Amino acid sequence: MPRIFINGHPVEAEKGQTVLQAALAHGFFIPYFCWHPALSVSGNCRICAVEVEGEDLDIACNMPVREGMRVLTDSEAVQAWRKRMMQFITLNHPVDCGICDKAGECTLQDYHYEYNGEPSVSREPKVHATKFFRLSARVLIDNERCILCSRCVRFTHEVSRSRALGIQNRADSSLVRASEDGRFEDDPYSDNVIDLCPVGALFSPSLLYRHRVWYLQATPSVCPGCARGCTVRIWHRRPDWALHALDGRQNEAIARVTPRENPAVNGPWICNKGRDLARIFERPRATQAMLKGEPVALGTAVDAARRLLEGARRPVALVSNWGSNEELEAFQRALGGRVRAFVKEDFSPAPGEPVEDDLLIRADKNPNTAAARALFGDAPPAFEDGTDLLLVWGEGLDFSRLPTRVPIICLNAYLQPENGHADVFLPVSVQTERAGHYTNFQGVVSAFEPCFAKRDSVAHAESLFAALASPPGPSP
Amino acid sequence: MSGGKLITGFAVTATSHTLGEYRARGGYQALERALLGMKPEEVTGEITASGLQGRGGAAFPVGRKWSVIRPDDGETHYLCANADEGEPGTFKDRWVLENAPHLLLEAMLIASYALGVRHSFVYIRGEFDLAYRRLAGAVEEAYGAGLFGKDIFGSGFSCDVFVVRGAGSYVCGEASALITSIEGKKGYPRNRPPRLTVRGLYQKPTVINNVETLANIPWIIAHGAQAYRTFGTTKSPGTRLVSVSGHVTRPGVYEVEHGYPVGRFIHEDCGGVLGGRALKAVIPGGISTKVLTASEIEPHRLGHFGDCEDRRVLPQSAGIPHLEPLVFEGESLQAAGSSLGSGGMIVIAEGTCMVRVLQVMLRFYHHESCGQCTPCREGMGWLHRIVDRIVSGRGRPEDVDRLYEISRANDGTTICGLGDAAGYATVGILDKFRCEFEYFIAHGRSRYDGCLECLGSS
Repeated sequence: MPRIFINGHPVEAEKGQTVLQAALAHGFFIPYFCWHPALSVSGNCRICAVEVEGEDLDIACNMPVREGMRVLTDSEAVQAWRKRMMQFITLNHPVDCGICDKAGECTLQDYHYEYNGEPSVSREPKVHATKFFRLSARVLIDNERCILCSRCVRFTHEVSRSRALGIQNRADSSLVRASEDGRFEDDPYSDNVIDLCPVGALFSPSLLYRHRVWYLQATPSVCPGCARGCTVRIWHRRPDWALHALDGRQNEAIARVTPRENPAVNGPWICNKGRDLARIFERPRATQAMLKGEPVALGTAVDAARRLLEGARRPVALVSNWGSNEELEAFQRALGGRVRAFVKEDFSPAPGEPVEDDLLIRADKNPNTAAARALFGDAPPAFEDGTDLLLVWGEGLDFSRLPTRVPIICLNAYLQPENGHADVFLPVSVQTERAGHYTNFQGVVSAFEPCFAKRDSVAHAESLFAALASPPGPSP
Repeated sequence: MSGGKLITGFAVTATSHTLGEYRARGGYQALERALLGMKPEEVTGEITASGLQGRGGAAFPVGRKWSVIRPDDGETHYLCANADEGEPGTFKDRWVLENAPHLLLEAMLIASYALGVRHSFVYIRGEFDLAYRRLAGAVEEAYGAGLFGKDIFGSGFSCDVFVVRGAGSYVCGEASALITSIEGKKGYPRNRPPRLTVRGLYQKPTVINNVETLANIPWIIAHGAQAYRTFGTTKSPGTRLVSVSGHVTRPGVYEVEHGYPVGRFIHEDCGGVLGGRALKAVIPGGISTKVLTASEIEPHRLGHFGDCEDRRVLPQSAGIPHLEPLVFEGESLQAAGSSLGSGGMIVIAEGTCMVRVLQVMLRFYHHESCGQCTPCREGMGWLHRIVDRIVSGRGRPEDVDRLYEISRANDGTTICGLGDAAGYATVGILDKFRCEFEYFIAHGRSRYDGCLECLGSS
């Protein structure tokens, strides 16, 4: 363990570390644009320079730690260097923070105030380049904002391995471009480059000009898109900045989804499906309890279901593997002794969807199969003769494959034709409306928190199970 | 004449580049001597003893570079000959490639033997046509004669050579960009550490030598380090290929012994300045080296301040006045604040507009900056645009200081030397011809009518 000194403080660095890594690990901040802990060292932004006493300044991201070296991260020479680099970096950058979606979470913006703070000394016209250039249907680039840190390029070469991005041309005409064979279009991890971009150069057309980040709040959550269970942040309008005019639905909409770094599960990445959680959670919702397709109050429907359960001698339940650990345990507690339960696959891979790869994506497109199988076994659903009640929890089940003339209690969150065919239909909440945990395929348990309030007309499945098991009486 | 000839000492004819004539001149005897009579370490030792320095621009001692490689450590090593000669004003390697390609190949075989290299590479500039054809022809001849391949001369030593053509990028002449280009990637220079002799081509220890550097090796092996040291000076032994261009009567490639006076070389060997004009300045070793004024080259004739009125504004630190005539030797040029660089000498006659000279140079650096690291990518364009604006008559008083600032901000902050070199070139011209810039800015026109050509000369 080499012992080095950072600004005079002794620091036990690890062998093979760079000065930048050692400094960050011990709470000394060194600014950086191009360096990223999960990517190779490129050393092109030149902002991370530090002074080693008795030597020239050099970049910290490529400087191996040496026993006894004395590093200064904030000396006068270092400050002057940073200021010069900031002048260079903003030389041809449009500085259009006022209309840039990155404003508020932009590294360049932060560093400008921290390390330069002065207007450009240049009087030359800026170099113009393409704006809103389409790298793929999901990612646009503003080449004027791009500072050519090459993080996105390295990501496609080292992480997603599509090798889809590269830099064309030379000098200040350099442009990040996607390969012409459309590989970037097919890269299931392409949206990560938007998070990686330290400036506002890469952005998603679907989010363009929709939100200012300071009006948004990030709620920790877990992506239910596959058995990996990547930890994510779901960004949505802050309640204290709720819109009272315009479309109130924006207050309950998912603005964007970003990865929540988690070395045990997904590292710093998520796939594009995880970015599109709104496509899952913002499908039309079932909000009305029904008896054979006729709308009734939720309490009435729960009573009816309770009576059906009480009268059944051989009830079978199909348990959703989208249920959280808490919901699955509540089911087991409340009904486990009375019904024969099977785990139901709510989702199978959609046509065209990447099935599985060696980075994140898993073939099982459900978040909690591991926990569900731990409780209810992995036998496929079987309906033996004499089955006289079916409890179907979750979606994705073709009712025509169920035994005929058996009453069905259905719990679903989304508006689907099957709901009306059930004898009793109970609308339930979705993941963004409740807290809970998922257990991923490796057995790692991750927590999610509610982003939005549950509507009164739907119930949390967890409380429904307890109500269904209790003797007939007042509804929950 | 300018001293002994180690590389160019033969008559160039239509067939002098062929294997037959090369062998008739004693070619490949040094290889035979090395392979059959010397151990790899002895070859390296001989090169170290000769004091041979790199001819690509940095003048790094070849022996020291080679000594890092342990030929028998079981690792794969690579040797690359840097034939990506792109420094403006430099065309000496081209002469070797066109007229003595076998000299390079023999040198590569000797070096490969000394370094334990099985596969060697020549990275040749894409624009070189005749040079490439001659080299490719020589490689074929050499393979036909069993000089490459397995078990050369029955010594058990095997070596292959691959000729890789560049695609016209200046920065690919930088060693790490060169190997990145050989690997098939965009020619971006790499950060050090690691050094290329530790992790170079395909992440293996790699030695990269300039063509001219290698071209000295067969002579050293054939005649010995001691004989080599009888040429040149103590600190810079041997000779140097100098490619002379610009306002000079007899431009071309000359082999000059180290220690030969620069002024005498220009006035006698090269026939003097074109059209009989006075000498204004000389860029001694490719445009990346600092420009020298006539009085710096011949202070013994012109005195400290000589005829260059611009010396009035020369900062005290710009150079140590010396009365010795400037000679072809690293130390002599360093004392004058410049360097021998890559031996590409550009002669500038009186009446040339130095603002335009700088504009041409910066256009080149702007065009050739690879765009990888921030200071060079942004700085080259910035410098170029400022000088463009001055030339268009819209200069501002603060421009000169701004040029200095940008140049200094590129000094030592970039991944490779291109940014530094452009800074040196800019600072070199600004230091010595600042008043021409100030005149241009103040009057909106050149003091010398913006001339780059030596007009009115025969």
